[in-house]
Amino acid sequence: MQYKSQAVAKPYFIAAIGLFVGQILFGLIMGLQYVMGDFLFPAIPFNIARMVHTNLLIVWLLFGFMGAAYYLIPEETENELYSPKLAIITFWIFLIAGALTIVGYLLVPYARLAEFTGNNILATMGREFLEQPLVTKIGIVIVALSFLFNICMTLLKGRKTSISLVLVLGLLGLAVFFLFSFYNPSNLVLDKYYWWWVVHLWVEGVWELILGAILAFVLIKVTGVDREVIEKWLYVIVTMTLITGIIGTGHHYYWIGTPEYWQWWGSVFSALEPIPFFMMTIFAFNMVNRRRREHPNKAAVLWALGTGVLAFLGAGVWGFLHTLAPVNYYTHGTQMTASHGHLAFYGAYVCVVITMISYAMPILRGRAANSNTAQVVEMWSFWLMSVSIVFITLFLTAAGIVQVWLQRYSDTPMAFMAVQDKAAIFYWMREGAGVIFLIGLVTYIASFFIKGETKAAA
Amino acid sequence: MTTDARNQYEGLPGDFAIWIFILAEMLAFGVLFVAYAFARAHDVALFNASQETLNRTFGAINTMVLITSSYFVVRAVNAIKCDLSRDCAWWLGMAWLLGAVFISIKCVEFYDKFSAGITLSTNSFYMFYLALTFFHFMHVLMGMIILAVVIVKARRGGYSSRDHTGVETAASFWHMVDLLWIILFPLIYVIR
Amino acid sequence: MGTTFTKSMARNIFYGGSVFFFLLFIALTVDTTKALPKRDNSQNITAEVERGKKVWETNNCIGCHTLLGEGAYFAPELGNVYKRRGGDEGGAEFIKEWIKMQPLNIPGRRKMPQFHLTDQELDDLVAFLKYASEINTEKWPPNIEG
Repeated sequence: MQYKSQAVAKPYFIAAIGLFVGQILFGLIMGLQYVMGDFLFPAIPFNIARMVHTNLLIVWLLFGFMGAAYYLIPEETENELYSPKLAIITFWIFLIAGALTIVGYLLVPYARLAEFTGNNILATMGREFLEQPLVTKIGIVIVALSFLFNICMTLLKGRKTSISLVLVLGLLGLAVFFLFSFYNPSNLVLDKYYWWWVVHLWVEGVWELILGAILAFVLIKVTGVDREVIEKWLYVIVTMTLITGIIGTGHHYYWIGTPEYWQWWGSVFSALEPIPFFMMTIFAFNMVNRRRREHPNKAAVLWALGTGVLAFLGAGVWGFLHTLAPVNYYTHGTQMTASHGHLAFYGAYVCVVITMISYAMPILRGRAANSNTAQVVEMWSFWLMSVSIVFITLFLTAAGIVQVWLQRYSDTPMAFMAVQDKAAIFYWMREGAGVIFLIGLVTYIASFFIKGETKAAA
Repeated sequence: MTTDARNQYEGLPGDFAIWIFILAEMLAFGVLFVAYAFARAHDVALFNASQETLNRTFGAINTMVLITSSYFVVRAVNAIKCDLSRDCAWWLGMAWLLGAVFISIKCVEFYDKFSAGITLSTNSFYMFYLALTFFHFMHVLMGMIILAVVIVKARRGGYSSRDHTGVETAASFWHMVDLLWIILFPLIYVIR
Repeated sequence: MGTTFTKSMARNIFYGGSVFFFLLFIALTVDTTKALPKRDNSQNITAEVERGKKVWETNNCIGCHTLLGEGAYFAPELGNVYKRRGGDEGGAEFIKEWIKMQPLNIPGRRKMPQFHLTDQELDDLVAFLKYASEINTEKWPPNIEG
């Protein structure tokens, strides 16, 4: 560790992994409720479990991004963090607020929670992924502001590299677009239109800047390739991301009451959206092949390459599969969307956060890399989780095809619940793959506790 | 004519990055052109009828304007290769002015259509007509900004026969904008 | 790759390109906003509909159902449920009775909780769902089953 203040990243990473476990457990509950409707009912109804599952995902990724930023920014700017103390305070506020929100979801009926938390003053709750009570939303804004303040102050007094600029731009965008979560007009079409400004412009816009910056940072460290080369790639990739992704928002505006022309805009630009992801794959492999040093942390390199490949598969290929308007007409709102969501989030964001953790955590613990045994276990966890998420994706795709075929495309369309019964076999297999994913995650956590010969810190 | 030694090996004039950009642009426009063709095949009668309402004279004049400005840009590049900074700036300035003429004519045309109550939602043809020409319009503006930056630098003697990548980069972009229009004009205004 | 491909050029393209496309997006947004009143059925947003939307939101219906195809995929699409269940002839009654009946006592079937909605809230929710079913969605979903 080059700078003492980088140590604040550690609690962020630990919290991220802890919440990740929670997310997966609730995912398994939901998966079972798909085929065993009585499971945990009425203690945890599906809508509550889903809210916990998706909100935990978002929150732990945010913890991961923040941790990554706190680790990366001092090293890139070549000076200590502006205020490590503020970073720790922010950490506890965010963790406690997040935990209270989840407990609220689980213990209080949602309508009551809305009443208690000021939803009558400004109604923002009850929209997918933005279910958080008003107070939590305001809390998120405050946390984001203090975090950005800390990062920007550090950046201002230090070296300004392209990686840190792209990262900060991504984080700024994240904060700015979150503000649209406070806009909830009674006009459903407008509501949905701007809801996507948070959701789409996050995951297919500014988050990709964060992703690119983190990946570039780790690649510089583990390959020793010239910064000039890597940063040039970074710029080209994020450029392609934004010029395809911004108008690509149009692929959500096909069937929600927005004008017909979005079918053209959305199809054309989102057809180009796989390009930046493809470039990212090429980039990762290219840099590793041209490496100038053998970094002892092989696990981090594996995660970095995994990010490239799985992000391309999940976000690029699976996104493209159903993005063209004539196809989307049949697949919109089926398990097809869920399949794409799972692989895209895992490949792009889960993998990149773990790449960073995998690279930084050994250093934060005082060694260049973990022992060989620990790394082997970690690599096993990579394969277990990655292969099982690919299977989850495949099974959900199969379920989606069943839905399209029986409920949408057929001359004698069947009712929703009848079709769900026909797809039950795929939901069972998805649950099986989910269990293997959990085993992979437990393996991953176990790798942190394996001792053995380690090399001294770099 | 003296050529930059580096460029003889590279093959491509100007900065390499602009070529990546140009490629990406061509791809985006290419996909839009293909989409136009699909949409037109879907409803030929509607497309032909709506096409009749476009002002082909304006379109033709604008085509001449852009081709001429492209020629001026070529003269500018040649001038700087002979170390004639002022000539270079002058030719670029003329190209810029023609760009402004293009923009003005286009504005009249847009004003015409908007005051006739035509929007992106009127029908598929107008959707493509407005989208493609507006998209191109913004590229012309972008090109003019780039030209302006290069003109200012050229006037201060910032380029020479040895170092004029900036001029060639701007020229490449301007040619692309011109080329796109040369495809756009027949595609939307003429072919039926 | 050419040596002339500098990082600063890549950066300029990044900034220029992003701003360019964001402006284009804003332009399309302005046009969409202008075009919406003809399509979004906003003339029928009554006080009832507004309250209904709040009932929809504060009971987290989107956590199981989809609305115009967006939401969870655990339970049926509700954007067109008003029409699916009879429209002006019985749609309202069906939806209200259905919600009151929950949870159904069928072992193994996916369960919908009992939300204890008042008659007023039920009427508001139905008004909201009726309004949603009349938005111009470009003929989506492909058929009444959603």
